[in-house]
Amino acid sequence: MFEKIFFLLCLSTALAEQLCRPEASDGYRVRLSIKTALGDEAYVWNDNEMFLFRATLAFAMRNQISGQEFEVSNIIVCDETPRVSFWFVVTSPQNTSQLVDKESVEEAVRKSRNRINSAFLLTDKTLEFIGIPPTLAAPVNPDTPPWLIVFGLVMGAVGAGIIVLLASSVVQKKRKNDEKPDDEEIDEETRVKTVENSAASEGIYNRSFSDDERFTHM
Amino acid sequence: LHRFIDLDMEKDARPKWDSPVQFVLACVSYAVGLGNVWRFPYLCQMHGGGGFLIPYLLMLFLEGVPLFYLELAIGQKMRLGSIGAWTAISPYLGGMGLASVVTSLYLCLYYNIINAWSFWYLFHSFQSVLPWAECPINANRTGPIKECEQATPTQYFFYRETLDISSSIEENGGIHTGQALCLILAWIITYLFIVRGVKSTGKVVYFTATFPYVVLFVYLIRGITLHGAINGVKYMFTPKMEQLANPTTWINAATQIFFSLGLGFGSLIAFSSYNQYNNNFERQAIVVSLINSGTSIFASIVTFAIYGFKATVNYENCLERTRLLLLNAFNLAEDSITVDTVYDWIEKLNATYPEQFAELNTRLENCDLESELDTAVEGTGLAFIVYSEAIKNMPLSQLWSVLYFIMLLLLGMGSMLGNVTAIITPLRDFKVISRMSSELFNGLVCLFCLLLGLGFTTTSGSYWFTMFNDYGATFSLLFIVLIEVITVSYIYGIKRFEKDIEDMLGHRPNWYWKIMWTFTSPLLLIALFIFYIINYIKGGTPTYQAWNKELGKSVVTEYPVFGQVFIGLLLASSVSCVPLTALCFHCNRKSSPVI
Repeated sequence: MFEKIFFLLCLSTALAEQLCRPEASDGYRVRLSIKTALGDEAYVWNDNEMFLFRATLAFAMRNQISGQEFEVSNIIVCDETPRVSFWFVVTSPQNTSQLVDKESVEEAVRKSRNRINSAFLLTDKTLEFIGIPPTLAAPVNPDTPPWLIVFGLVMGAVGAGIIVLLASSVVQKKRKNDEKPDDEEIDEETRVKTVENSAASEGIYNRSFSDDERFTHM
Repeated sequence: LHRFIDLDMEKDARPKWDSPVQFVLACVSYAVGLGNVWRFPYLCQMHGGGGFLIPYLLMLFLEGVPLFYLELAIGQKMRLGSIGAWTAISPYLGGMGLASVVTSLYLCLYYNIINAWSFWYLFHSFQSVLPWAECPINANRTGPIKECEQATPTQYFFYRETLDISSSIEENGGIHTGQALCLILAWIITYLFIVRGVKSTGKVVYFTATFPYVVLFVYLIRGITLHGAINGVKYMFTPKMEQLANPTTWINAATQIFFSLGLGFGSLIAFSSYNQYNNNFERQAIVVSLINSGTSIFASIVTFAIYGFKATVNYENCLERTRLLLLNAFNLAEDSITVDTVYDWIEKLNATYPEQFAELNTRLENCDLESELDTAVEGTGLAFIVYSEAIKNMPLSQLWSVLYFIMLLLLGMGSMLGNVTAIITPLRDFKVISRMSSELFNGLVCLFCLLLGLGFTTTSGSYWFTMFNDYGATFSLLFIVLIEVITVSYIYGIKRFEKDIEDMLGHRPNWYWKIMWTFTSPLLLIALFIFYIINYIKGGTPTYQAWNKELGKSVVTEYPVFGQVFIGLLLASSVSCVPLTALCFHCNRKSSPVI
């Protein structure tokens, strides 16, 4: 009795080893970078963690292929390295010597990637399935690009500034026009002064042509 | 020209600065511009770090300050813009003023585009993640967009999202609406600053001249405290004296002083024409020139601190990538290799697993801090790509980004004040235009420049920008200032000029100034002039950097025929003003009897 069990165990392990070879066709390599992700809070990778991984993957396979009840034993792992990377293959629950094809495994991992990541407190970058590129988060597209909002604010402020400036200059001009008849006499006096000043400094200014007749009407 | 200019009318009704401080701040605001931030650090790096200061300061005293003094003197004496002032000095050479206006017009057209880009970046800084920090994801959501992957996210953001650049100057697309909006905003703000001429400009310069220094100082503190900044500053200031033997160093120093002070555009003449007759511009000229050079040096310390930080971050990222590569390839435990021990491990692994290591060799990068520091960049590449890359790595990057682009805007807008004033002041001297209200005329000028400037917002607009930047104002300015200094020293006469200055300041300029004006500066300018011509002829077909979408980098491309023709037109249109006006005047004199 015991021999039979022993024989079966050896067979299954041997079979498992046969099925799971690095670079085999229907498996994937997994690489974890726990220390990079968690720093001081990193947990040690041991058999319990490996058990969790196999369970999580079985969960992913169950989600993908409905009806088939994948167990932890269906996930076979080999070639563990100190890097914390290993190769895994998935066997079909109906026939343990047959591997589930690559595409289904990939689909399963893709679908449940988030759940697998959070089980290990890792991200797409620190828990890598080599050969399965992560589906990146969709870019957030707001209705109005934020730069347009800031632009609108600044443009509005500047526009308001210009309108105020132009309005004030128009008002100033109107006020000047109303006061103009009073200032005409004052203007005449200042013009006389400028004539005298310019006549005195004519010698220094080097003008090839000077428009003298403007003042000679005085 | 003389018949159209109001030589006497505006003499006393001419607007004035409220105080000499406004004038000084206006000059500082104009002279201290983007070139201080993005050209000087590059030259410093290319020509031997701290050693470059020797030719730079020498040229400042031989060429920069005397020419600056000269232009201020002309403007304050003649009380007219560049066209009127030069016509008054010598009617045959009134075309110089016209050439200045044409060159200033070209400058106005393309300079505000930089401000538009600064606005674009500023507005995009108000996001939780800076858009140039990460590559956007492609349509399949499998990875970043290919173009972005080939280049870097900052390059992608600049070339694709900001410029939407085409692959060569021949291919044209539509106008980039975001760019066009930012350009309109830039011109509206420019109009706001100059709408009432000196009255409004005088108030604005209090802000545009001083605030950039506040930001630069804040950035200095931030920069020096960054990780790895000291590498950059050390690298910059280690003088490499052998560079002084290279004539290009001296030529670049002379050219930098020349362009940095903004000589020849007519802006200085315009600004000083609004001065009181007895304003002491001699002291102001020295002060402004020294402030300008001081700012260049100050800005380059900040730039090199940022460079050092960026180089260190890139270097450490490179080491991290190498470390990960080694860990993954040889399946070692995560904490076995640290960033510091990467190189020891490379040797160890090379010895123990040579074949495996050999196949890894192609993917292994060579991480070198020196080569990261060596990447010298200037111009828009420095301002918009390198700096934004450094900023995205800083903590609180949105704040630093906003501050930085506000500083760029202030520097650029401050220079625009001078550029637009250089066009408006001489044109307002004409009787026809002085009858228009200043608001209307200024608005028309801004509108005209805006409409033409929209051409720079098209997909090939950035190439046209480069063309204008490289050829629109470089050669013509040298020519203009050379003629200026020869006119004043020899045609007008240095004795008459001395007397004018004595009349204004109360004392004659001492022997130093006179020697510079009559002898040193003209010689230097002639040397620069000859150098430019030789370079132009030797350089063959002019080329530009075209962005290649597939490769994700810039490639050197020759200008097509129409491009070269246009370059020729740019140069000819401003330079030819001088002989044409002289000819015109000569003909007019012959045809009409002498008055």
